[in-house]
Amino acid sequence: MAMIAGTIYGVVLNDREQHRRLAAAFLEPPYKAPPQKPVLYIKSRNCLTTSGGEVMLSPDLTQVEAAATLGLLIGRDAHRVTMETALAHVAGACLALDITEPHDSYYRPSVRQRCRDGFLPLGGLADFTPALLDGDIETRVNDIAVHSWSPRRLVRDAARLMADISVFMTLAAGDLLLIGLPFDAPRIAAGDHVAVCAGRLPHLSARFRAEIAA
Amino acid sequence: MKRARIFHKGAVTWAALVDNDRALRLPSGEILALTQAHWLAPVTPGATIFALGLNYADHVKELGFKTKEPPLVFLKGPNTLTGHLGETVRPADGNQMHPECELVAIVGKPARHVSAAEAMNHVGGYTVACDYAIREYLENYYRPNLAVKNRDATTPLGPWVVDAAEIADPQKLRLRTMVNGKMVQEGSTADMVLDIAGIIAYLSETMTLLPGDMIMTGTPPGIHFCSPGDQVVCEIEEVGRLVNTLVAETGP
Repeated sequence: MAMIAGTIYGVVLNDREQHRRLAAAFLEPPYKAPPQKPVLYIKSRNCLTTSGGEVMLSPDLTQVEAAATLGLLIGRDAHRVTMETALAHVAGACLALDITEPHDSYYRPSVRQRCRDGFLPLGGLADFTPALLDGDIETRVNDIAVHSWSPRRLVRDAARLMADISVFMTLAAGDLLLIGLPFDAPRIAAGDHVAVCAGRLPHLSARFRAEIAA
Repeated sequence: MKRARIFHKGAVTWAALVDNDRALRLPSGEILALTQAHWLAPVTPGATIFALGLNYADHVKELGFKTKEPPLVFLKGPNTLTGHLGETVRPADGNQMHPECELVAIVGKPARHVSAAEAMNHVGGYTVACDYAIREYLENYYRPNLAVKNRDATTPLGPWVVDAAEIADPQKLRLRTMVNGKMVQEGSTADMVLDIAGIIAYLSETMTLLPGDMIMTGTPPGIHFCSPGDQVVCEIEEVGRLVNTLVAETGP
């Protein structure tokens, strides 16, 4: 998929409600302390697929979690940017459906939980407007509204996230930053159809199918 | 054949090693002495970079871990790469920054549902990585977290790619790291917990590996904390000798 030429970075544990629920667990082993920096992951290029396509679920997966979020396309290298200047480095936005194998541990997850083929359908790119960060992201499954959340729920908003990440690494032009995931994302099974919309961004949809064993 | 990716006369190009690895031949036919080369990390742009943690039994013991089952695989961005003879910043508070010499297998053909028996047919070449880690920055979420393993230019790579056909047995190569001429890491790729074929089989069960994707196969024992000014050399027999210099952090 040529649409994103750079690296796709995402962040977990960036949902205030999730932090409230996990506050006690953060103090227990194996974590022992709440996260200090953004908790980041990478979606490898094999995950990329365009809206309107199919996501194949292999026989070992009965359900996946499908979290709708915003992707910010970086337009200029962001290195040690401040919260005030961060969003000036964003050149576009799109909807993303970040699919994972459900997992409870945030300690040392396996890359295959997040990075199977087709595990990141992306909607079309459009202009970035700050209003997107204030709006709602709605998910419909089989044409029924099942989930809605807003980036207003983020622990670190997009600007703070870019500032806190770019302290130690460059978000490069062409990279895509997924700004956070709702902790209560819907579970999806083979046969389901998922549609996501937010403001004026191009809609995203994906059909989930069972992969025939190789 | 060995191939290097260099910056030359305003452009990025791949060049072949010639004259017993003493010179480079550019696509134009021009010959360049190695001393004239401006080395870049030999990576295909867009490649996924996989890395194995805890993949040498002795290193696992040294860090106090139990061997992981399934394998610990994490991903890295291209911002981490820098070429042979490059510089890496050693942060002022990074007192526990240590080099990790790793054999890198580069995917040569697409791989999906590939068995371990077939896996080596999908390797196109090999190179050397020095994957620095900074232990102060470890957090217990999504380990190893990106602040440890995804900092800019903290993964020297190179100097070149050796064709897979030229390495008789990639699981029988000595590797070592020298800091200012003193050996701080030593091992053999024979001691990998999961060998290259096993890694490719494991990854390709759920992901399509594409040509150019790189698999950093883990590091042998030896933890040595480095300082600014240190010259760090990672060397793997038959593959290459990768040189990097640590520099102090400068102000913004």
